[in-house]
Amino acid sequence: MIEKLSKKDIRTLKYGAIGAAAIILFVFGSAGHERWTKAKANGAVLRTKLDTINVDKAKQAGLMSIVPVFEMPQVEEEQKFLFRDKLSEQLKKAGIRNKPLLVQSGRKSPEAGYKLLLVKCNATCKFVQVLDFLAKLNENPYLVGIEEFKIKCDPKKQGEVTLDLTVSTFAK
Amino acid sequence: MNDNQTNMEIWQSVVAIVNDDNEFKGVELRKQDGSFEILWTRSIADADTDWREFAAECGLSVEPTALEETDSDRIVVAGFNTAGTIFHRTTVPDVGDKEIESIIQLQAETRLPLPPEQIELTWRADQLQDGQMGVTIAVARKDLLQKFVGKVRCFKPAKILLNSEGIVKIWEAFFSGNKENAVVLSTGSHNTQVCLVEQGRLSNAVVLDIGIEDFSADVTEQQTETTERFAQDMRSVLDLFGCSNQDELPVFVLSDGSASYVSIVSSLRLAGLNARVATPDSNGLMAKSELSDEELYQYRTPIGLALMAFDAGADELNIFERLYNPLQKAVQRHWLYAPKVTIAIASIMVVLLVIVSYSVDIAGPGSIEKRIEESVSDVDMNQLVKKQQLIRTVARERPDLLDLLKLVNESGERGITLTGLNFKKSQPVSITGQASSNDQLSRYEKNLQNTKGIEKVNYTANTNTKSKKITFTMTFDYKNFSKKTTRSKS
Repeated sequence: MIEKLSKKDIRTLKYGAIGAAAIILFVFGSAGHERWTKAKANGAVLRTKLDTINVDKAKQAGLMSIVPVFEMPQVEEEQKFLFRDKLSEQLKKAGIRNKPLLVQSGRKSPEAGYKLLLVKCNATCKFVQVLDFLAKLNENPYLVGIEEFKIKCDPKKQGEVTLDLTVSTFAK
Repeated sequence: MNDNQTNMEIWQSVVAIVNDDNEFKGVELRKQDGSFEILWTRSIADADTDWREFAAECGLSVEPTALEETDSDRIVVAGFNTAGTIFHRTTVPDVGDKEIESIIQLQAETRLPLPPEQIELTWRADQLQDGQMGVTIAVARKDLLQKFVGKVRCFKPAKILLNSEGIVKIWEAFFSGNKENAVVLSTGSHNTQVCLVEQGRLSNAVVLDIGIEDFSADVTEQQTETTERFAQDMRSVLDLFGCSNQDELPVFVLSDGSASYVSIVSSLRLAGLNARVATPDSNGLMAKSELSDEELYQYRTPIGLALMAFDAGADELNIFERLYNPLQKAVQRHWLYAPKVTIAIASIMVVLLVIVSYSVDIAGPGSIEKRIEESVSDVDMNQLVKKQQLIRTVARERPDLLDLLKLVNESGERGITLTGLNFKKSQPVSITGQASSNDQLSRYEKNLQNTKGIEKVNYTANTNTKSKKITFTMTFDYKNFSKKTTRSKS
């Protein structure tokens, strides 16, 4: 059968076969390519997530020294209560007799999806007590940061200081 | 047809060996400045001598472990007697090479009715004329050729050439062969090689079993019979060549100048053929000692073959092409070096690479998720990520006030009393206090300025006239907390 075909016929058949192969390749190839692209994007997202969780040991240790404990923020009312309670406890532990803590809404939150609440504290205490308090402050699992810290020595009373402190917490 | 062409210019001399007319003959021919020189000639008519012995006699290496002759500055060619070879002349239309090949195969099978695997053929095409192409075909039994190859392989000839082609070549070179179309007769002791030359190339050849000794018989009656038989045979040969109607076609009888050849020519003339004697003309051929016409005639075939070997562009009929190719081994390289194989391997590797990358990318996310599920168990992955992000944000929001107090305290020397410190995010830190002298205050400022994490230190000072003490307020930026742009990005 093939022997009866002329050179032209054979060439046409060859081109036809190449064309058919190209069409099949294109159809399956484009579907495969789409799947591939999606899988790649999926993979990239997952890898980013993994990178977020799998911080290297040195970095993780650095983070832990600044934020040794952290609790996920609750709704505003609950968070307010939890934070204030823990802060009072820390002040008490340090021997600081503070005036009632004042809660107010703060500046724009640095984290999308969360409000920033501020708690103001005024007290008159010893300088050593302030140091004790500051040393343990990071152990508050609801604390975000220190917004304001004002300390002034009373020239009349040796070793006594007036403390104005504003700390922040996140709330849903 | 000749794929085994090599550049002959690199060889200085050619040794040609033939077994012509039951006699081994060998010559070494050197080409120099366009002329040829015969370095030596040798012949042995002993029936017990074989190719190996004669090659050794000619100084050629016949040891299997010996270096290839092609490594030296000379090559060796062997001549094949065309007695067992059938020539055929045909015309084919201008079609593709494959079609010509099959036409020729068919023609060859009609000439030598044997199974295709038992025959060997070669062909040479002339130039195209009016859409037709003249083709010279040479066919022979394969076993005959294989046997011959077995005999000559010992001295590793670079080529095996047909004796009849050598005869045509020497006729053109040293027997004044200037005709485009002619019949050339090379008469030996017991046979005569008849070659048809068309367009200056061998196109047909036949061997007759009448030689010069038959013409030299003592009995006159016997001589007459030989002459008549020879004339009759020549007529049949010309008929076979398709030249029976060409009365003017010149028939050249190669001669050493002796009378015997004249009588052959006379007998042919009597038979009505345009016969003439072709005597040697050694112009352009030198030899160590003077070369006589008889010697030139005796070694006509090996000299002709040597001349062919020098002619690099010659399109000779190589009937041994598939059976003997000494250069093939040297040229043959490992199949891995073949470009087609390399390209094929590279393509397969590329395809494999694509498949593996595809599989990894497709399977990767799934396996990562699986691994995470296994390691994190029930904890929601997104929750974990969010918590980690929040911890990072919180870490950026927490100034180390103990560290700040320590820095401020350590930078001041004795005599400086601090009375207050004010830290507020996005604002410079300010400290208030008292100093004994301006120098002391200036050093304090300098120390703070040199402290890591503290920059842009400024101060204002007032001197109390009564107590001579200097009260001051100093401001500076502490890390990133004093800058307005410290807001972390969500």
